[in-house]
Amino acid sequence: MSNQVSASVRDRALGRARYAADLVPSGAAVADVVRSPHPHARVVAVDSTEALQTPGVLGVLTPDDFAGVTIGRLIADEPPLASTARYVGDGVAAVAAVDHKSLLAGIAALRIEYEILAHATTTEQARTLSVDIHNTAPGNIASSFSCEQGDWDAAIGRVVEWAEGTFENAPVPHAYLEPRATVVRVADDHLELVTATHFPTALEEDYREIVRPWGTDLRIITPEMGGSFGAKWEHPTHLVCLAFAHRLGRDVVMVTPRRDDMIAGRGRLGMKLSVAIGADADGRLVAKRSRVESDNGAYSGHGSSVTVSAAIRADNIYRYEAVRASADLVYTNTMPSECFRGFGHPQAVFAQEQLIDELASKLGLSPAEIRRRNAVAAGDVTIHGWQIGSSGLQECIDEIETRIEAHRAAQTGAAQTGTAKSNSRFRTGYGLATCIHSISSRAYDPRFDRDDVKLTPRPDGTITINSGEVEIGCGANETLRTIVAEELGVAREILQVVFGDTEHGPYGLGNFASRTTLFAGRAAIDACRQLRRRCAEVAASLGLAETSVAEVIGAAALTDRLNELVVTGRFEPDNVVLPESSAYGNLSPAYNFAAHGCCVRVDTWTGKVVVQQYWAAHDPGHLFNPPGAHGQVIGAVTQGLGMALTEALELDPDGMVLNPGFLDDRVPTFPDAVPIEVIFIDIDDPAGPWGAKTIGEPPLIPVPACVANAIHDAVGVRLRQTPMTSERTWQALATRETMP
Amino acid sequence: MNTPSAQFEIVVNGVAHHVSSGWHSRRLLDLLRSELGLVGTKEGCSEGDCGACTVLLDGEPVVSCLTLCAMVGSRTVTTVEGLNSDHLERFAAGCERTGGVQCGFCTPGFAVMSSWLVDGGTETGDDSDAKLLEGNICRCTGYQQLAEVISSLRTISEDPTGAAP
Repeated sequence: MSNQVSASVRDRALGRARYAADLVPSGAAVADVVRSPHPHARVVAVDSTEALQTPGVLGVLTPDDFAGVTIGRLIADEPPLASTARYVGDGVAAVAAVDHKSLLAGIAALRIEYEILAHATTTEQARTLSVDIHNTAPGNIASSFSCEQGDWDAAIGRVVEWAEGTFENAPVPHAYLEPRATVVRVADDHLELVTATHFPTALEEDYREIVRPWGTDLRIITPEMGGSFGAKWEHPTHLVCLAFAHRLGRDVVMVTPRRDDMIAGRGRLGMKLSVAIGADADGRLVAKRSRVESDNGAYSGHGSSVTVSAAIRADNIYRYEAVRASADLVYTNTMPSECFRGFGHPQAVFAQEQLIDELASKLGLSPAEIRRRNAVAAGDVTIHGWQIGSSGLQECIDEIETRIEAHRAAQTGAAQTGTAKSNSRFRTGYGLATCIHSISSRAYDPRFDRDDVKLTPRPDGTITINSGEVEIGCGANETLRTIVAEELGVAREILQVVFGDTEHGPYGLGNFASRTTLFAGRAAIDACRQLRRRCAEVAASLGLAETSVAEVIGAAALTDRLNELVVTGRFEPDNVVLPESSAYGNLSPAYNFAAHGCCVRVDTWTGKVVVQQYWAAHDPGHLFNPPGAHGQVIGAVTQGLGMALTEALELDPDGMVLNPGFLDDRVPTFPDAVPIEVIFIDIDDPAGPWGAKTIGEPPLIPVPACVANAIHDAVGVRLRQTPMTSERTWQALATRETMP
Repeated sequence: MNTPSAQFEIVVNGVAHHVSSGWHSRRLLDLLRSELGLVGTKEGCSEGDCGACTVLLDGEPVVSCLTLCAMVGSRTVTTVEGLNSDHLERFAAGCERTGGVQCGFCTPGFAVMSSWLVDGGTETGDDSDAKLLEGNICRCTGYQQLAEVISSLRTISEDPTGAAP
């Protein structure tokens, strides 16, 4: 049995997988960042005299060492070390030493003088107070977006019912298990940066511009990634380690302590959404208006793109006739935000799906029926120009409705169901919510949305698969082996995947946006087809009769012609760069759909919500790894339940994170696990490798909305703020007028 | 408190190591990872929340980030590298079958806990697996699969024919 276990799963299960902190060269210097205790303060002076005299201390870096350098793929606004600290935790200096004891002594000996500045820790403060967080952003607006599609006046003329409301989502830390870790190795003519990142190719490109003026070059090596969920991209700590390694001529390691990681890592963007949706007399959703305000924190990450996504992405699942959307991304003196599984969409769906339930109720339709009546379908071009190649949305809704009805029927007679309107303490209710998701886009890099996969046959008969992607724990490694083995007709055992090594890897945008199965998969298929052609040519010239790929590789090795069999396959879809003014166009080569359902029990005395059963129906297309896909859904739903019910970064008025720990943030633990049934709709997408779409992000997206709808069904109150804690639910119950 | 000898002995995975007395006041986790090279034990939070650094002390689980080497005494330490290899292979196969491993960072801690649970480990005798695994956080998988893996491993261990489900 054990020989059926894939190498990547076995290595991780046996503790043999190697993460950055497991790859520390002996003699490496240890480094750490010194963080501002103030939410907004100018660094007047860093006196490192005493620190540098501390035994074991090797060096100190200050903001002056990075003058003029900023990082940020979309808005380059984050310095490696800040001359003006913009949040509690902003790095203002760094120390390297021979060991941790000396490092701590060196940090303690550093004298930093600050000039305290007025701060704004909420978007309201940032808009109204006289606080200038970045002098390049008037009003502290990092970016703005607005668009209108369709004929608004004609559409609203047909509206008979509106539902509207304002919804808020708290920032949530990604809470990956592996804290940020960076190793830099000094090689003869370059520096090797060993760190987990979603996009090694982009990292190399951006950092190379910074290190080349130092007279050196760069190679990125990605070890295993111990979780990220959208957090690990570029980061100031990378540049601090590179600078120390270059200056000291010595390998360097930095592992960010968990508490620092939770105050200076990244988190989901806190958002406020005001949304109104109008329906006509037939229950058709005809008009939607959205206004989004995102809390960017001190620096931008992918916040601008996430905010546009929150403003318009959810519109694409229904056949709206007209939409108006506007969004602002607002700087605050708080931890920088970043994309997090779902890319702003869970926040938008939390608003949309609750309002649609309200409309269904007003129009006398069931939650399933109003969604079926409005769902986009294969062949549709959505209100924002998305071309839908395949959709299992109707089937997903049907599957969830069937399960909810069966569960409800099994409980019939039990007086505590919400619909039975009993007055007992515990009330049960059911929720339904849907989502659409794109598979990659050009938002990350307008120049390209592409993947290459290189195949290199070796003299020993094995084939190396090089990809510019990375393995982030979702099984991309095994997916590529499966595709190549099948397409070439070779044994899996001869295939070795090498990810994310910029010296050897071809181009890859990165593993994020639920894109790797489709993009790297298509590139791998292209590479395999090229290799088969080359094999046929080599076989013909060697006078071999029809023969297998493995046999041709063997013959080519003996005749020194293996280099003729090295091929690079490519997939570059015809999705478009969306104009900034409208964001209209076909975002992605394929779109995936989901419907979720759940049964909750609400304790009306305490407000505690317990999810008793959860159902998740998805249309991921062909499944390369069914257990892995199943596990992805269970894990994403569980993360979503954390966002829905318990998790939030809590700040005091001075921007201090009050709960910087796994348990303080209240991530779901083992006893919080709920029964989750996963349903896969078997539907192939024309763009996908073997019809595959993907699964990564979508299973988180509908969760908070689904739970909110179930709470309403149970007790008749609308929770418009995540997390929907017991306290908030209790308060909503305490202030409502009547029991349903 | 001075230790009389310059070295002391600590037994890890059945091997006695002689380490300098300075390690008495340092974390077991650091000894395992940086001195002995046993990097299968992971550091996730450094404060006993996450369980990624779980090891067995005389067969009982502890978080090695909150365990000083001096606290080990004469007890033997077992890390993921020292677990029964048949158990580990079955654990890996269970993870493959159920989708019970993703990023893998928490997985060694769960491997150690699974070994303890399958060997009959319990705190009060009637705690559920979920309760006993409360101290091991997994951000990727959502736990359901790991519960299934441990349950199936227990079935195997109770069935001496070893017929795997």
